[in-house]
Amino acid sequence: MNSKQVHRFVVSYLESKECHFIEKSPVGVTVKLSPDADRALSNRPYYWSFVDRTGSPPETMTYRWSFENPAMSDRMNASNVSYVLTESGRIIQEDVYFGSRRLHQLFGVVQQSGRCVTLFEEPPRGRLDPFASQPYTAWLGVNFKVGYECDMKREELYLWGVSLATGIIEERFMDKLKDRRLTPRLPANVHLLKNGLSLRKGMAQLEAALERRLRTADFSWAVEAEARRQDELERIRQYYDPMLEHMNHPDQMEQKEAVTARFKQREAEIDWQYKPRVSVSVLNCGIFHLPGLD
Amino acid sequence: MNTSIPPDNAPRKLHPLVDMHVDRSAFEDLERRTERNGPWDDWALYQLALEAEEANLVTDFHALRCLSLLPHFEPMPHQIDTARRVLHEMRGRAILADEVGLGKTIEAGLILKEYMIRGLVTKVLVLVPASLVLQWVRELNGKFDIPAVAQRKSYSWDNDIVVASMDTAKRDPHRQTLLDGEYDLIIVDEAHKLKNKRTGNYQFINELRKKYCLLLTATPVQNDLNELYNLITLLKPGQLGGEGDFAANFVAERRVPKNESKLQETLGQVMIRNRRSSGGVEFTKRLVTNVPLQLSAEEMALYEGVTDYVRKHAASENGDMASMLSLVTLQREVCSSRDAVFLTLINLFKKTTEDSPLRARIWELVELIKRIKANTKAEKTMELVRSLDDKAIIFTEYRATQEYLLKFFQEHNLAAVPYRGGMNRGKKDWMMELFRKRAQVMVATEAGGEGINLQFCHHVINFDLPWNPMRVEQRIGRVHRLGQTEDVQIFNLCTLGTIEEHIVHLLHEKINMFELVIGELDEIIQQFEKEDTLERRLAQLVLETADGEELRQKIDGLGDTLLQTKKRMQLENAT
Repeated sequence: MNSKQVHRFVVSYLESKECHFIEKSPVGVTVKLSPDADRALSNRPYYWSFVDRTGSPPETMTYRWSFENPAMSDRMNASNVSYVLTESGRIIQEDVYFGSRRLHQLFGVVQQSGRCVTLFEEPPRGRLDPFASQPYTAWLGVNFKVGYECDMKREELYLWGVSLATGIIEERFMDKLKDRRLTPRLPANVHLLKNGLSLRKGMAQLEAALERRLRTADFSWAVEAEARRQDELERIRQYYDPMLEHMNHPDQMEQKEAVTARFKQREAEIDWQYKPRVSVSVLNCGIFHLPGLD
Repeated sequence: MNTSIPPDNAPRKLHPLVDMHVDRSAFEDLERRTERNGPWDDWALYQLALEAEEANLVTDFHALRCLSLLPHFEPMPHQIDTARRVLHEMRGRAILADEVGLGKTIEAGLILKEYMIRGLVTKVLVLVPASLVLQWVRELNGKFDIPAVAQRKSYSWDNDIVVASMDTAKRDPHRQTLLDGEYDLIIVDEAHKLKNKRTGNYQFINELRKKYCLLLTATPVQNDLNELYNLITLLKPGQLGGEGDFAANFVAERRVPKNESKLQETLGQVMIRNRRSSGGVEFTKRLVTNVPLQLSAEEMALYEGVTDYVRKHAASENGDMASMLSLVTLQREVCSSRDAVFLTLINLFKKTTEDSPLRARIWELVELIKRIKANTKAEKTMELVRSLDDKAIIFTEYRATQEYLLKFFQEHNLAAVPYRGGMNRGKKDWMMELFRKRAQVMVATEAGGEGINLQFCHHVINFDLPWNPMRVEQRIGRVHRLGQTEDVQIFNLCTLGTIEEHIVHLLHEKINMFELVIGELDEIIQQFEKEDTLERRLAQLVLETADGEELRQKIDGLGDTLLQTKKRMQLENAT
């Protein structure tokens, strides 16, 4: 993410949370958070529980966020946060850049609050026949993240969708949604066709399809990681085995147990470090009602 | 097609070697919400969540992604190279053994950051000497945006990234807490303290459950090759074979290896040692200037008076070293400012009984102080700063001198800020900030301790000199360090005809310490001070010696010993 993308990202979030912009400039914003955004970002759980219990009107925080990349010379050792007092209260100034704590926090917040949706496409305006109703079918859209892990890691995203009417899988589902206008409310003059698949069935089909796809992936990374694992295991065997062999005297039983335990621990650590695995997780997902039958 | 979601989350086999694990909790959430008819999240947030994931996606196994997340910070090429090698060749278990001053902490920070970004590391334990805990926390937070906390209470261990002192960690109840845990990454700074495998430190680290592990030390071998063996066995048992194999294959004598190329090769798989001499790391020059000055007649009278007092009084202390040392301090203070010596004299005065004959003597000295109207050194410093026409940091040993200088500069319209050890963190940061943005001069009493980095300043003025060379080095190190882009000018003020002249002579002309390569000095001093500190040896010489010429010879002798140590060290490092 470059600073422009960060800027756009932050502003989109603030707008979606209906925050009040005091100032917008090409390189930053000054914003008074909405109560919702304040709860998510200001790290004041005690304050908010106080507001909730007493019902007193909340006073939200004001931030001035600069999206320019900060130079180290401007930061020295100190944190990138400073405070300004103005007539309207205290403003907290921060540098927000890709890698900063604030952006990291925002990423976490949107991942939590942009998790599940149900949406309808708005029918085109204008040529509305008040008596004709348009048929809509439902899609299950799921954004998967796939991680290939050993002592190293690589990730891929699969932004897939399945038609709950036909079971057809669309591999560029998010692209398909890109230029459509979506709304959380059922538009007028629209009727929803019955689903052929349950949500759960739809999900099972997506997962099965993804699994088939992943099977065809290149697994040389895993073969190499396994070779490293065996290599490491062999190395510690060469170290511990002779040591254990020489501990046969009854007096050494205790010592032998300790060394064996250490050996097992090392083995477990090596498995932990090298064992190749693939993890699939659902980032977010939703039900999308779109016109037509496909 | 008959597909269904497996009832449990049992892994599925994708490949003979690889299981697939599925986390579909977000989907289960969708099902629940469908049943209850909401609540539904915002479409804009849904898209932003995906955008966030795309930005954070680790698209390949090898790239060093952390660099793009640290826009404010540019590591040196050898540091980046080290991070890459540890990640890709050593698989996250390594000894970072750079010589002092090349940035081992930065290398460790890069590696940690990269693992965190890749989601391979969340739980981290950093074990360091107590004096370095805060410095580490600040480096990780400030430079790397890594939310590390210093361990203070038992519950601190619950944090993901904890920096703690080794001594605390290895003691119960902490010890047990840590042994019960599991750490994705453990970093041990000053790891040469783990060289003996019979010690508690060693066994503790050995028992901790860890995936990746970094050991940092500038001196992987101090006395014995076996130390190195132990260190590596801690990291990767078997790397150098069994204990017997190692001795048979690689050790000729305690400090002399055999089959060296084979040993180097095996070591190279677990240890990285960047050297200053191997180039790549360019430090700017240090230019040292002595500024000799003649004390005024009044100041010299005070110096002689105090010297006389010290000699006579020392004889009566019957070898009580502590109070003898404080007497020598009096002499050193006169060379700094009358304010410094005045304060000490008053304290001495208070300690004497009312009928003590010393009182009259002290009073005479105070009379001498009263006659002094001007501080020659301060005036000279003023002149110097004006001629530099640039930022300068002035170091003094004495608080009273510091106060005096600040007042003096203020009277002469020179913007100056103080800096001392007793200030709290916030105030220190503030002072640094003021110095950077507003003031031409910083007057500091403290150079050591944690993080003052003043690379924006290129002039160091030693108003007076500590007798401990390491402290002198620390002073200069605040300014002359990695990241300094210009040559650094160092000025030593030196009052002729006093002990100060001898000290400057020893440190500058004799052992040329100001121009030693960074890091060289501490090795030399470590060797040299095995018996007694240089500072105490110097004090003793001063007290034992009556006239200046004799003192000079004796200090020269001390300098020769230091030089020999240096030669020996250089010889050893060359092999």
